Amino acid sequence: MSLRWRLLMAAAAALPAAAPAWAQDTPTDVVIVLETQPDQLDPCQASKSQVGKVIKQNVIETLTEIDPESGQVNPRLATEWSQVDDLTWRFKLRDDVTFHDGTPFNAEAVKYSIERTMDESIDCEIRVKYFGGLTLEVTPAGEHEIEVKTSEPTPILPTLMGTVVAMSTATPMGEITREPIGTGPYRLEEWTPGQQIVLTRVDDYWGDQPEVTKATYIWRSESTVRAAMVAAGEADIAPNIAVQDATNPEMDFSFLNSETSRLRIDAEIPPLDDRRVRLALNYATDRDGMKGTIFSDKVIPSTQHVVPGINGHNPDLTPYAYDPEKAMELLAEAKADGVPVDAEIILVGRHNLYPNSQESLQALEAMYEAVGFNITLKMTEAAEWYDLLFKPYAEDRAPNLFQEQHDNNNGDAVFTIFVKYHSEGGQSTFADAEVDDLIDRGGQASGEERTKLYQEAFKRIHEEIVPDVSLFHMVGFTRVNPRLEFTPSIATNSELQLSEIGFNNS
Amino acid sequence: MNRFVLKHGTQSLFALLCLLVLVFFLARLTGDPTDLYLPMDASIEQRAEFAASHGFDDPVVVQFGRYLAGVMRFDFGDSLFQGRPAIDAVLAAFPVTLKLAGVTMALSLVLAIVIGSLAAWRPRSIFDRVASMLTIASASAPDFWVAIVAILVFAVSLGWLPTSGMGSPAHWIMPVGVLMFRPLGLLTQVVRAAMIGALAAPYVKTARAKGAGKSRIIFVHGLRNAMLTVITVAGDQAATLINGAVVVETVFGWPGIGNLMIQAIQQRDFAVLQACILMTAFAIFFMNVLIDIAYSRLDPRVRTS
Amino acid sequence: MRNSSLLALLRSDRVAFVAAIWLMLVVGIALVGPEVVGKAATGLDLRARNAPPFDFSRGWVHWLGSDALGRGILARIFLAARTTLGIAVASVLLSMVIGGTLGIIAGLSRGSLGKVIMRGTDVIMSFPSLLMALIVLYVLGGAPANLVVVLAITRLPVYVRTARAEVLEIRERAFINAARVMGAGQVHLALRHIAPLVLPTLFIIGSLDFAYVMLAESALSFLGMGVQPPSITWGLMVAEGRSYLNSAWWLSFWPGLFIMLTALSANLLASWFRIAGDPTLRAAQGNTGHA
Repeated sequence: MSLRWRLLMAAAAALPAAAPAWAQDTPTDVVIVLETQPDQLDPCQASKSQVGKVIKQNVIETLTEIDPESGQVNPRLATEWSQVDDLTWRFKLRDDVTFHDGTPFNAEAVKYSIERTMDESIDCEIRVKYFGGLTLEVTPAGEHEIEVKTSEPTPILPTLMGTVVAMSTATPMGEITREPIGTGPYRLEEWTPGQQIVLTRVDDYWGDQPEVTKATYIWRSESTVRAAMVAAGEADIAPNIAVQDATNPEMDFSFLNSETSRLRIDAEIPPLDDRRVRLALNYATDRDGMKGTIFSDKVIPSTQHVVPGINGHNPDLTPYAYDPEKAMELLAEAKADGVPVDAEIILVGRHNLYPNSQESLQALEAMYEAVGFNITLKMTEAAEWYDLLFKPYAEDRAPNLFQEQHDNNNGDAVFTIFVKYHSEGGQSTFADAEVDDLIDRGGQASGEERTKLYQEAFKRIHEEIVPDVSLFHMVGFTRVNPRLEFTPSIATNSELQLSEIGFNNS
Repeated sequence: MNRFVLKHGTQSLFALLCLLVLVFFLARLTGDPTDLYLPMDASIEQRAEFAASHGFDDPVVVQFGRYLAGVMRFDFGDSLFQGRPAIDAVLAAFPVTLKLAGVTMALSLVLAIVIGSLAAWRPRSIFDRVASMLTIASASAPDFWVAIVAILVFAVSLGWLPTSGMGSPAHWIMPVGVLMFRPLGLLTQVVRAAMIGALAAPYVKTARAKGAGKSRIIFVHGLRNAMLTVITVAGDQAATLINGAVVVETVFGWPGIGNLMIQAIQQRDFAVLQACILMTAFAIFFMNVLIDIAYSRLDPRVRTS
Repeated sequence: MRNSSLLALLRSDRVAFVAAIWLMLVVGIALVGPEVVGKAATGLDLRARNAPPFDFSRGWVHWLGSDALGRGILARIFLAARTTLGIAVASVLLSMVIGGTLGIIAGLSRGSLGKVIMRGTDVIMSFPSLLMALIVLYVLGGAPANLVVVLAITRLPVYVRTARAEVLEIRERAFINAARVMGAGQVHLALRHIAPLVLPTLFIIGSLDFAYVMLAESALSFLGMGVQPPSITWGLMVAEGRSYLNSAWWLSFWPGLFIMLTALSANLLASWFRIAGDPTLRAAQGNTGHA
């Protein structure tokens, strides 16, 4: 039995050379198998990764486009921009673009798009995520030029415009639409909720015509199944498969996915309010042991909660080395000073936060217990996890470590640093006047000064405050059918531009 | 018979209401969907505003009253996440599950009756033992595990079947096969047990002694009596099938109601969850009525009681 | 029936005998296993991650391979046995006792009590048990005790319905009528005459449910809401191991096998018990055996 079993499994792992009986593609069609289905396709939800993977830059396009590798802002629907004064910006728009419904892309349409995005009667993710507290006033300045006035100085407005999408004025105001009408190289052809979404190429796209003529999106929750589908030729791209399913170097690409994982330390509750205890946790963490086992061997041990390439990332920081003796010493020291280091510490985890997330926590639990911590693992599902993530925290909570992962692919540290580390941030667990000051000043500054202030903040956070156990800059695995010419990149986490896909002639 | 259905209907309506109350309040005890819906970076004020605009900050009783009032007008609320009426989502998903469960149930019932009856004819014979072993063993494996192994073996390794999805008849083989395991095992056991009992009854023994044919004895005398228990268990399995459907639909990517429900629970998409419950509960009540009718047909004593 | 004759009967049936031995073994593991393996079941050894089975150079706990954290699968199975069997036995017994009692009452009652019970089971039955369990567990959390209660409640209807159906049939039989005519009270009737006849069927259902409960618990783990680590059950092991099916099949295969064999044994033994415990059936078997 077991031998046969093993053979079967071995056969399953090796890829069949036979022609896939169920592949239904004509040569320029692609099938993309996602993890979960998008619930909505409203343009203003395009910042959600499962929505963005389908429509962002395919059906609807942004005004500017951020290069996630460098954080640089590039033109897309806006060709150039300039700052008029502290609060006012001007954007020049392309003049050769029409929406899929035939309406022209112009200043009026952009005004409408921004107003709809900022409209509080629908729960627009882009507004909530990037424009909290900020209001924009848009005035057309000619047919293809707009002037944007912000309620407070916003040096990174061009970056923020990389999140704003243009939609036809036929998109209803004040209600969620199921028919996104944009300017992109593809239009939404068919959406059968629960089953599939089909995009087809438009003929009169303003840019270069992409090679893919039709894209079908389907979804399967099991990573094993998604990987199997590409292997069997039923699908062409499976973004985000688990490391253990990425067994074929010819099909499986790994890439930094802009996510960073950490354990947030609740630095307000004893014994975690003692810096030595927080340091001990860091020294007790065997990052090298987890790399290449539970995590892929491509992950990068991290020192801060943003990836390299994000403005403000400090490249000079070094991860804490694995040094259990030092951890034990620090704990003994703290104990001698009366810190209750034996107190039970809750390690809060979340199911499937990333592949093997549960195992990584069991490993961390074992590492911390080995140096003398008293850890209790508590797994939660999404709703409960979110509840614990945000302030207000429960007054009588136990000391806790909180598993978290954060992605920032919008070029600037501001999207991370305030929320996570400013004393007024919604998810911070400490208050340090100096850090607050650096973050505040960084937010107002621009250019090199902004970078420097954020870097200083990250240095202080990592070396002095130690409010977290920073784990890894994570990698994702995407399986791509060899007939395609496509290399997944850091952006694949939140968008999947069909125009970047080519075909191998074979 | 009309009065029978009517009486059953009113009782069922009451039960349905109980179920709805139960789920409505239980579901809200699990927290509201604000944090799940809004991005992680949303501020505390944005959260409060969201909860208020969707009425999650009202007392649950008020929310329930509002919901019931809506249901009276056939307004089942909107799906928060899908941005469309909840009933639309449910109506789109229901036929998928109905077909899946129907085909599975029909096939397992037929197979169970054949295997179970043959096994009961000569209890403890080789056939009986092998059939028992196999059916019990098949019902003893975790279905999600069987499903994934089946995909790896039949779709990836052998390339005989598509991995997942719906469409051609070939797409049905694995989901139905996996879903059948559980009811088939149980039903075969029940058919066998009931048949042994029925075949041991004096009048069947008499028929046997008189030399009545095997099939005649099984199908006319034995089965008729065994059917009571079989139908009870088969009826129970209908709801259980939805359990299996949750798993099977998740693995094979079928857009059925099991899939929808699990998603609604995880997302706290209450309107969809409630619409799903109303729909499945209605379907199951309807089926129970059919079972009761079948009961009274098969056994006159039930009708008189 | 005497114990010694029961034992002799058991030994004469090889399959049932083997099943009994397996169950005793598993119960033995559940009783002492966690203490035997001790630290080996929880310690971390990332070098042994997903080590394949049948490598006898490591300790015996690794003979069936190692899991994703390098812990011996056998050690994990030993550790999980107690929780797994505890949950399954407790919830089956709970639902059998409560469900059987309610079913007999419903069958004997000609008044509204019976109706109330049947409507109650309708409520439970009209909603898929797995989803109901899921909602309840979201509220309560996945502690083993909560699982027992939730699984027991969701399985009540089948006992109630089966018991009632049996009672409806039995109560018309001549000897029940005779007992009734002779003035036997309802309680006496239920306990002395009806319960013994209903029990074998409930045992069949219960034995199948034993498997069902283990599997339901594992399905809940698959959906993310079953027993939570560091607690461990066989079902959770299967659920956790499924993501390695492609690369390390042993992670979910062995615990799955333990579930299957245990469920199978319980079923075989229960159906043997049914025959052994019912003289009329035994006679019938004897007759057909020679026919």
